[in-house]
Amino acid sequence: MKKKNKNINYSKEHKKYLKKIKVDKFTTLLAQILLLIVIVGLWELLTYVGVLDAFFLSSPSRMIAELIDLFKNGTLFYHIGITLYETLIGFAIATILGTLIAIILWWSRKVRKILEPYIVILNALPKIALGPVIIIWVGAGTGAIITMCILICIVITTLSMLSAFLECDEDKISLMRSMGANKFQILTKLVIPNALTEFVSVLKINVGMSWVGTIMGEYLVSKAGLGYLIVYGGQVFQLDLVMASTLILCILACVMYLFVGILERKVRKHKE
Amino acid sequence: MEDYLQLKDISLSYHTKEGEVLALKSIDFSVQKNEFVSIVGPSGCGKTTILSLIAGLLKPSSGEVLLDGEKITKDTSIGYMFQRDNLFPWRTIYKNVSIGLEIKHKKKDAESLKHVDELLNKYGLYEFRNNYPSQLSGGMRQRAALIRTLCLKPKILLLDEPFSALDYQTKLSVCDDVHSIITKEKQTAILVTHDISEAISVSDRIIVLSKRPAVVKCIQKIELGDIETPLKRRESPKFSKYFDLIYRELSSEKEE
Repeated sequence: MKKKNKNINYSKEHKKYLKKIKVDKFTTLLAQILLLIVIVGLWELLTYVGVLDAFFLSSPSRMIAELIDLFKNGTLFYHIGITLYETLIGFAIATILGTLIAIILWWSRKVRKILEPYIVILNALPKIALGPVIIIWVGAGTGAIITMCILICIVITTLSMLSAFLECDEDKISLMRSMGANKFQILTKLVIPNALTEFVSVLKINVGMSWVGTIMGEYLVSKAGLGYLIVYGGQVFQLDLVMASTLILCILACVMYLFVGILERKVRKHKE
Repeated sequence: MEDYLQLKDISLSYHTKEGEVLALKSIDFSVQKNEFVSIVGPSGCGKTTILSLIAGLLKPSSGEVLLDGEKITKDTSIGYMFQRDNLFPWRTIYKNVSIGLEIKHKKKDAESLKHVDELLNKYGLYEFRNNYPSQLSGGMRQRAALIRTLCLKPKILLLDEPFSALDYQTKLSVCDDVHSIITKEKQTAILVTHDISEAISVSDRIIVLSKRPAVVKCIQKIELGDIETPLKRRESPKFSKYFDLIYRELSSEKEE
């Protein structure tokens, strides 16, 4: 609620303090940019003069040339689109379904107790091991990739949301009950809004996890997508293609993370 | 005078894997309408348990609780105040105090809404109705918590150490504040506390409980005349006499 007031006359000491913060922030950013330039520059230079072999390591200029090539033959956005579609669908289904399962487990103590060991085992299981089973059951296509993505995200979503629901303050639940609230009202008016910050944390985890799931899925079965480009590039020893695709993945994951970050700021506003 | 709230021969046992613990044993007392009664006792003796029974959050092993001649059900309107204000940080003050109406599906009931506005106005929170709890002081938050319970026109108010989380200065003024609101609204109230002075300063009667299994050890009537506020009641010459009486009752408990 506090509004910034530029007209306040700060003391000299305070101005100095504010300036120090500003300088500190600026130098950090500057160092970060410089670090990037140095790495990219050295990479380019060393491959250019031949100290490093561009065939094994690719190079920034070759990556960019590769990207332009992909763009020109029209496949760049096709591959991006497919991977993005798989990731977003997997991300959405896993988050919604995982949260719904968490709600059911919160609702019934008995169901929770019965399913506990199974969930623990599912959580510990390396989901990639289910790859062949998924391909046989779902078929070798987009469905299998999305399934892999969901499997990787859903268990951790359920577990995190359930623990957030169960952490709800007993006093607040008693308060709701003393006013005559039923279980559904306690859930919707107290337990769910109370777990909203945890939900955003889950979204953040799932941004990373859903990319892992999709790319893993594409490694297993795919005819298109960024994961496909990476595997294909590796098989035909085209490191330029591998590196360029990885770069795009980095950028996409960053953008998705930024969106969640904006959401987080909105939610955190009214947390004690 | 007719007994408004009656606890008739209440016993309650807790069951754990290790065994059965008798928490309350034949608790028997009544409260008159508009009376302010405090319950004091050694810590862990089951004071809060008694409030949970009156609120209908717990069922006694034997005995019954009658309010206004009727058994407590889920629909009985009870106001419950806790040690912490328990305001929901994601709701504005207005949405916090009117949550009871939402629960009872009276969100569109014009009369109830008017009552909410009246209470907010009367007790100086109307201009803060669109603020969030984190923007209010501890005292104001506790007042908002009290108004939240009053919005449902409760038949009885249950106060579970509502001042103990506040610092001493704030505690005294919030205690005055809450006491005056309860008197103005003509509420019947039961306060659970471990603070003897606080109990004497607000109550008409004090119920002293023994340690577990809790029985009613004695019921002390507090007569300090027509002194209005709890703070001024603390200055009354009889205050220390009552303090001694209750202190002795409680400490004799510890020696046994």
